[in-house]
Amino acid sequence: MTDASPERDAAVDGGHEVAHGDDHGHDFPGTGSIKRWFVTTNHKDVGVLYVVTSLFFLVLGGVLAWLMRVQLLAPRALGEGILSPVAYNQAVSAHGLLMVFWFLSPFAFGFANYVVPLQLGAKDLAFPRLNALSYWLYLFSGILFGVSFFQGGTFSGGWTMYAPLSVPTFTPDVGASTAVLALVLFVASVTVSSVNFLTTMHRMRAEGLTLRNLPLFSWTILLTAWMMLFAFAALLAALLVLSSDRLLGTTYFAMESPAGALLWTHLFWFFGHPEVYIVFFPALGVMAEVFQTFTGRRIVGRKWFILAMVLVAIQSFAVWMHHMFLTSINLQVKTLFMITTIGISLPFDLMVFALIYTMLKGKIRFTTPFLFVFGALLLFIIGGITGVFLGAVVLDYEFRGTYWVVAHFHYVMVGGVTALVGGLYYWFPKMTGRMYDEFLGKLHFAVYFVGFNLLYFPLFVAWETPRRVFDYAPELAPWHQLATVGGFVLGLSFLIMFYNLFKSAFAGDPAPDNPWEYATTAEWAVSSPPPLENFDGTPTYRNGRLEFLDIGEVTPSEGRASGPTGAAVSDGGVTASATATVSSALSTAEATEVEGPSHASIWPFVLSAGAFLVLLGLSPLQDAAFPEGMVGAAYATTTVAGGVVTLGSLVAMGLEPFHGPVFEEGEAWPFAGIDNGKVGMWIFLASDVVLFGGFIGAYVFTRVAFGWTGWEPIPPDPIPGLVNTYILLTSSFTVVLALVAAEKRHKWGVVTSLGATFVLGIGFLVNKGLEWQHLFHEGLWLSTNVRASTFFLTTGLHAAHVIAGLVVALYLTARAWRGAYLEDSRSVEYFGLYWHFVDIVWLFLFPLFYIL
Amino acid sequence: MVSTKLYTAIYAVLFVSATVQVLVEFAGLSYWLAFGVIMVLSAAKAVLVAAYFQHLRFEPRSLTYLVGIGLAAALALTLAASYSLL
Repeated sequence: MTDASPERDAAVDGGHEVAHGDDHGHDFPGTGSIKRWFVTTNHKDVGVLYVVTSLFFLVLGGVLAWLMRVQLLAPRALGEGILSPVAYNQAVSAHGLLMVFWFLSPFAFGFANYVVPLQLGAKDLAFPRLNALSYWLYLFSGILFGVSFFQGGTFSGGWTMYAPLSVPTFTPDVGASTAVLALVLFVASVTVSSVNFLTTMHRMRAEGLTLRNLPLFSWTILLTAWMMLFAFAALLAALLVLSSDRLLGTTYFAMESPAGALLWTHLFWFFGHPEVYIVFFPALGVMAEVFQTFTGRRIVGRKWFILAMVLVAIQSFAVWMHHMFLTSINLQVKTLFMITTIGISLPFDLMVFALIYTMLKGKIRFTTPFLFVFGALLLFIIGGITGVFLGAVVLDYEFRGTYWVVAHFHYVMVGGVTALVGGLYYWFPKMTGRMYDEFLGKLHFAVYFVGFNLLYFPLFVAWETPRRVFDYAPELAPWHQLATVGGFVLGLSFLIMFYNLFKSAFAGDPAPDNPWEYATTAEWAVSSPPPLENFDGTPTYRNGRLEFLDIGEVTPSEGRASGPTGAAVSDGGVTASATATVSSALSTAEATEVEGPSHASIWPFVLSAGAFLVLLGLSPLQDAAFPEGMVGAAYATTTVAGGVVTLGSLVAMGLEPFHGPVFEEGEAWPFAGIDNGKVGMWIFLASDVVLFGGFIGAYVFTRVAFGWTGWEPIPPDPIPGLVNTYILLTSSFTVVLALVAAEKRHKWGVVTSLGATFVLGIGFLVNKGLEWQHLFHEGLWLSTNVRASTFFLTTGLHAAHVIAGLVVALYLTARAWRGAYLEDSRSVEYFGLYWHFVDIVWLFLFPLFYIL
Repeated sequence: MVSTKLYTAIYAVLFVSATVQVLVEFAGLSYWLAFGVIMVLSAAKAVLVAAYFQHLRFEPRSLTYLVGIGLAAALALTLAASYSLL
């Protein structure tokens, strides 16, 4: 269900909505209104929502960490201390999951939402409603995770969710399933967000703003979004398989499956290592921006800095097995991954030296943001060096599963948080229009930095403590007590920040456009906070610096310049002072015709609420059955209600007249000349390739572990599969005919072809249903063995894609009946791209599961 | 763009190739030879669908590379993970 939404909406959002003619007025409520925050699709509002929500999850994850640190004050036997053993396991797991998923990345993407379109010179993201949808899916996924605590207990198998501990045999609570489903919903949010950001950042840069000149924060977000697109698709595969094991009874990760535990580690860490950089890169971007601003110097070796980041982003997908040195993988592959791991540390060395050298060459101003990012650099250096130890196979044999690992990754991850906190202070004046209190900011840094090191450094010393348990050698107790004190100091330091920022948001000194001398990126060239549509004119870097072209009448007014006192250029180019607006002879005719963009839609919120209900309703499933009695009926009802809300809001969203921001294509490498909707669809499909790749990979891996040739296909006869291949190929052909008919403006051609596609799709499902029915009668079920599990689940995922496609096909047929798509056939085209992709997947599933 | 006639021809080729793929299984080839032929046939069909039905042939090459990157990631995971077992 959640899987269906991205591709649908990409088509809808970027597609035909411009064709809707009617204006629904400009009743966009102000920021003081509660309603505003439920309907907004504006990137700055969404950015604020992300930041505030993520800080809430920081507090939640932080309180869980305090519970653990109190438990760890002394080595405890079972039943001692404030937490029961299971409660401790839940606190450990939930702390990790909440901090990594619901705090760190969303915190960074709050800034990304706010700042990146400004740095690009765009009025908003490419698909504003999808951006709102990302936020609401994120919020509801977090709420779902919160609910899991009250369903007998949340997931308790550690944030890495290692199998077989993660299957119901060992973690039977309903809440554990809910936590996994919450992650599925979170991944849906991330996928929608990645597609949106990548489309925006590649397609909507101002004229002259080539990638080479892109500000460094935007660069880090661009690379982060690319890594997210592919890494989270692999995680989605892992989570869907795990959900299926938990809810439907498949046996991928069961004890008796060949290499089931190893399969999870591969899928998880293929995601998990890029995730480290997904979390860290935005922090790196903040560091680069703040270093440049407060040293008054362009970063040393800018080009090489960018190249190093690109290298890391690519290499990050080739190091995952260094998390698996103590599993049964062979020695050759361990050696290979040790080498790639050492290889990935090299570009980081370059980045660290570039930052240090920038400080040496510049003139430092020790403001709060600078202090935080400077602290972050120091912490990251320690975190990085201690990580190299873990990257060596032989040393990892000793360090694995100890507090050395805990200390190392907290120095890296919370080091990243340190930079992001610096980012919060840095952009606070832009986001609120008010200055924070500098003294309190510095005080926060001092307490934070002391607390941080008091918390995490003793963990290096007490590294022999085993991870994830609360018993350890008594002589290590003083170090743990020190760490607990540090934990409270670190946590309480945030009270200073919350007080400072909350008070300043209402009563701080008004912030000028650019409160930081030498800040050179475009967000500082507009007012604080920026107007709803960011720029008065069209931003351009045509002449090597930021200028605004008038949209309206050619008025040589000087006041139009939104007052950039300092320089406003991309930080790659020369620094120049933009003193006056450049008027241009842009056609005025266009401006009068252009309607104001829409900013409001309630449907992203409703859709997310629906998805939340569906997953909540599914959470108590075991072996594909709801529990008996009232409780089961209540859950089943919730699922159905959620399904209706989800489907209804998808249709409502499709029909809603919504105008995205009008933009003039500037720099769009490498997607120049391709419509936003099409780029978005292809980017989504690329991630779907990885999703199916994860499923097919899991099948191949399990089959190799089982013994390839000893494994017989589940269906005894390939003919039903062949028939389905014929059906699907034919349905692809009819979609092609629909597009041809639309281009020829042949209404009934469109309706007939789309209708035929729908009927063929139904035929595919019926044929598959009969085949499954037959297999069930033969006594084969999802849980019979892993061979049956892979067959039913992989072809089932494909069938789910077919069903999602059919929903869209039905919608398109109905709209075509009423004469749509003859003027603008893009929706039909984008649907076709998706449908053909589903066809292609089947072309591989058929031989793999029916013939070979 | 492409004519309906060419689309139809491609559809026919796909249809026949799917049939051949099943016939290969009954041809009595050795397992791994049949495996190779069958996978090559699948790949060929996929390329035809992507190139013409999804008209990647007529789009800027960047879209093809984009899909290629996804495919490379999926293959890297599958092959490296499987190799790690051997």
